[in-house]
Amino acid sequence: MTLRWFALGCGIIACMLIGLGAGEQWINPFAAHDPMSGTILWELRLPRLLTAFAVGGLLALAGAWFQVLLGNPLAEPYVLGVAGSASAGAVTGLMFMPESAWAMSAGAFAGAWIGIVTVMFFSHLGSSRMLLAGVVLAAFWSAVLALLLALLPEQGLYRAFSWMMGDLSHSDIPVYVLLAAWGVALGCGLLLTRALDMLLLGERHAEALGINVKQLRQRLLLLASAVTAVAVTAAGTIGFVGLVIPHLMRLLFGSLHRAVLPASAIGGGLLLVLADTAARTIVAPAELPVGILTAIIGVPVFLFLLLRRN
Amino acid sequence: MAAVLMLSNLSVQRGGTTLLSDLCCSCNAGEVVVILGPNGAGKSSLLLALAGLIPATGLIELNAAPLHSYSRHELSRHVAWQGELPPTEFGLTVQQRLELAAGEQSANIENVATCMDVKPLLHRPLGELSSGERQRVELAALMLRDVPLWLLDEPTAHLDLKHQIHCIHMLKEQRTRGRAIVMVLHDLQQALAIADALILIDGKGNAEYGAAARLSDSQTLSQLFDASVITQGDVLVPDYGGQS
Repeated sequence: MTLRWFALGCGIIACMLIGLGAGEQWINPFAAHDPMSGTILWELRLPRLLTAFAVGGLLALAGAWFQVLLGNPLAEPYVLGVAGSASAGAVTGLMFMPESAWAMSAGAFAGAWIGIVTVMFFSHLGSSRMLLAGVVLAAFWSAVLALLLALLPEQGLYRAFSWMMGDLSHSDIPVYVLLAAWGVALGCGLLLTRALDMLLLGERHAEALGINVKQLRQRLLLLASAVTAVAVTAAGTIGFVGLVIPHLMRLLFGSLHRAVLPASAIGGGLLLVLADTAARTIVAPAELPVGILTAIIGVPVFLFLLLRRN
Repeated sequence: MAAVLMLSNLSVQRGGTTLLSDLCCSCNAGEVVVILGPNGAGKSSLLLALAGLIPATGLIELNAAPLHSYSRHELSRHVAWQGELPPTEFGLTVQQRLELAAGEQSANIENVATCMDVKPLLHRPLGELSSGERQRVELAALMLRDVPLWLLDEPTAHLDLKHQIHCIHMLKEQRTRGRAIVMVLHDLQQALAIADALILIDGKGNAEYGAAARLSDSQTLSQLFDASVITQGDVLVPDYGGQS
């Protein structure tokens, strides 16, 4: 187990160094003495890497929470429609203020919270009904999004689609805010680890073991949704990280949340750093949407581990 | 003996249907009360109500204080509930399952695992076990809960004969240690082997409580289950028909 933690730590350091060096032009982070290289490394690449790390970690944490909250291993941060409402908000912002740099992020954040408040109305339902309500709400927000995209002027479409497939190049949230959100989210999660572990036994068992399940579910829903809202606002909708990283970490570190949550917060960051590095390097100077790369990198790794474990 | 659990005019409803009404009974320390009745009569719902997991009307007193005066956490220090098998999707191992039940008593895990014959399974995920093995894990988890009242929903379900007998012996031993136990059983012989008192729920909203010796006659039980229960020697058994 210690070896696995060590490997994860080494992995994140290695990915950070590769991410710093790689790009349109390779720059050795230990030998960047000219001002231009320094500017590229420390003012462009490093903030973006840290943004990717924080967003990936937030998505993986939210995924782990949603899976336990809904008692469903297929749950992920966007399952209750928060991504759809955030996307609809982002496109609305773009539609009404196409020149504003902040319009999409502000719209996404507002949209995400509209989605969260809507979902909260269903938090008193059991896991399966809440999941059903979330899936239906997600379909509703998808329809709203499709309508808005149909009405969006042509020049805004590329920006909208690029954002919707995950875009770390224009994050409007300062990197220190994202790192603080990562730390706060992980800290809150660690305070709830024992209650989350109990919830793995089912709601009745958890309640019989002294957990106030109703209160826990509300807190968890709010926490996971807020974290999703921050991640979506920062980088658009990036799929796969929140679904697969918690499972990957359960395979590597076991099911108890005192290990799953920190491992997911780091592992999600690691995957997104890797994916973003690949996304801005493979076809440089152009960029690929990072959401595509998260799936291309993560799926084979996950399937390999799954088969190896069996 | 002090009454650990006291019920006065208890009624339990689910989905708008009254499952049982006006039940009065008590369970003392070192006493076993067995709930009998046909499928769907409300036996499991009664246990859930006693555990404070679903609402009920009337008065439930635990150690002479109303159940609703306990917080969820306080209640878990007085009552242990064993019901359906927990889900297995997230890969919990037997050891982790027992750790969650044990809380501060994790030093006892090895002992109870040995007692319930699950020690060789400790590092296996729950999802890889048979229903019988999982039931034994749940019984081991129960043994880690050193609380005055155990509420058990079919503790011998899924178990083979050896482990059914072992389970009943374990429960009898717990009774001698002063544990109050209220449980649902479907096996008549098991029920009558261990019960000090019975709660009979007929599925029509009626519930009757009394000493096992008073209620365990073939006519009462035949009526309760709408099936023939006969006396063979001194023992009440379901009438499966004679040997061919």
